[in-house]
Amino acid sequence: MTAIKLNNVSLVYRLFEKLTLSAPGRRRSALGGNIASSGTKQVVQALDDVSFELKAGDRLGLVGPNGSGKTTLLKVLYGIYQPSAGTISIAGKVDALFNISIGFRPEATGRRNIVLRGLISGWTAAEIEEKMEEIIDFSELGDFIDLPFKAYSQGMAARLAFAAATALEPEILLMDEWIGAGDASFQEKAKRRMDELAEKAGIIVLASHDDTLIQRVCTKRMVLKNGRVESLT
Amino acid sequence: MIAALSGAFDDISKAIRLHRVWIALAHEDIGDQHRRTTLGPLWMLVNYFAFVGTFVFVFVTKDAINPSYIAYVAIGMLVWFYLNETISVSVSLFQREASFIQGTTLPLFVYVMRLTMQCVIRAAYSMAGCVLILLLSGYGTNMNWLFSVPGLLLIILATPAFVVVFAFLGAFFPDSEFIVGNMMRVGMFFTPVFWVYSGQEGVQKYAYHWNPFTYFLESVREPITAGTFPMHALAVTGYFCLGLWALALLLLGLYRKRIVFLI
Ligand SMILES: Nc1ncnc2c1ncn2[C@@H]1O[C@H](COP(=O)(O)OP(=O)(O)O)[C@@H](O)[C@H]1O
Ligand SMILES: [Mg+2]
Repeated sequence: MTAIKLNNVSLVYRLFEKLTLSAPGRRRSALGGNIASSGTKQVVQALDDVSFELKAGDRLGLVGPNGSGKTTLLKVLYGIYQPSAGTISIAGKVDALFNISIGFRPEATGRRNIVLRGLISGWTAAEIEEKMEEIIDFSELGDFIDLPFKAYSQGMAARLAFAAATALEPEILLMDEWIGAGDASFQEKAKRRMDELAEKAGIIVLASHDDTLIQRVCTKRMVLKNGRVESLT
Repeated sequence: MIAALSGAFDDISKAIRLHRVWIALAHEDIGDQHRRTTLGPLWMLVNYFAFVGTFVFVFVTKDAINPSYIAYVAIGMLVWFYLNETISVSVSLFQREASFIQGTTLPLFVYVMRLTMQCVIRAAYSMAGCVLILLLSGYGTNMNWLFSVPGLLLIILATPAFVVVFAFLGAFFPDSEFIVGNMMRVGMFFTPVFWVYSGQEGVQKYAYHWNPFTYFLESVREPITAGTFPMHALAVTGYFCLGLWALALLLLGLYRKRIVFLI
């Protein structure tokens, strides 16, 4: 059964302070994030005691100011970061969309990039073959699919990334802010696909500043502030 | 300790299951480096050939004109350049792969194998250049050349361990990129790449006996220049590889989850 459970998860980034002669005047930031020092190191507490639970069919919208820990939380869920404290348990096949260009090679064609992206996500050659046409159709790139990725516009790249990430029907889909990049007709298509995914008892976690997008897509809403959960409704 | 090793083996076995990823990426890398060039990867053959050719045909003195010295230098440089390039590019491996490491959950060993694969492909072109020089210099082929195969295999086997050790070094101590770069440049003179050791005293003696690279070189070169099976060189190289792999597994096991925070 697809599920996500976090217990008191914290994550601290350690930064090595460069030697500098200038005075360390500090200003309070109006944004999220807490800077502290421990010894010669600076640390940023990006997540602080985060606990929540999601079950099959949940679509969670993450909101909060820049630097409040949304991206960090998504990366913890994906398994890129190991939390500094707390436990996390995830059941289900996870796919994620962080940054449009991650995993795409600018010099390779769209088609070749789909193959590479598939290999990276652990698809078999047969699965890639089978999904290729569907991805190309969904992205509506047409003949552009055989042009190098660097020739794509932001929106085109977003279409390809979204089509590829959702093609194999991940049970858990994590998405960072950029999903607003596509045009209106693509947004509509993307929403339909996310609906399908959630109906198949999947989980979606979506970070966005776009409140209407969150309202349209999500069933739950979590507000992060300074790495803490401010509200979960 | 046990946990570290099992973590390392977990990372490695996942990476081996994803072998198609690093094979594909390594080919893309080589392709990208030579995109829009006419000769493509053949440039690597030309580079080696031009460098070693210049060295042996311009600097040859009367005692060095003999084909066995040319073979000595050609093979020495083949192995040296391979190890030198592998180590020098390894130091910045994780920084170069930062966007993948921060955006995907691929095991770290995938990047290690990607670089290994890339280095081996490049070396294959240099090796073609080396064989060409051996043939051009009038150095006949013979069955003793086969004794070089174990040495070559050992070098390839050692490559991922070299990559892991130097990649972690570079991630934890960014200064090491410059230190290693300088050491490798100087190292060429402390390794019997183009000088022949024949029992002299002094620096050369230590540089010959206490330099692990000597044994890597000799285990490939001795069969061709001396026609003997390089028992001693292979043994030393073998032990060195074991030590290197032990270190590599330990680093991978203990610190692989930290890398993403360091780059
Ligand atoms: N690689 C990093 N190194 C150090 N601090 C980081 C790093 N990534 C993010 N942070 C800090 O962690 C906090 C949360 O960042 P992030 O998760 O990116 O926020 P959001 O996605 O909500 O804008 C911020 O204070 C940010 O400065
Ligand atoms: Mg963010």
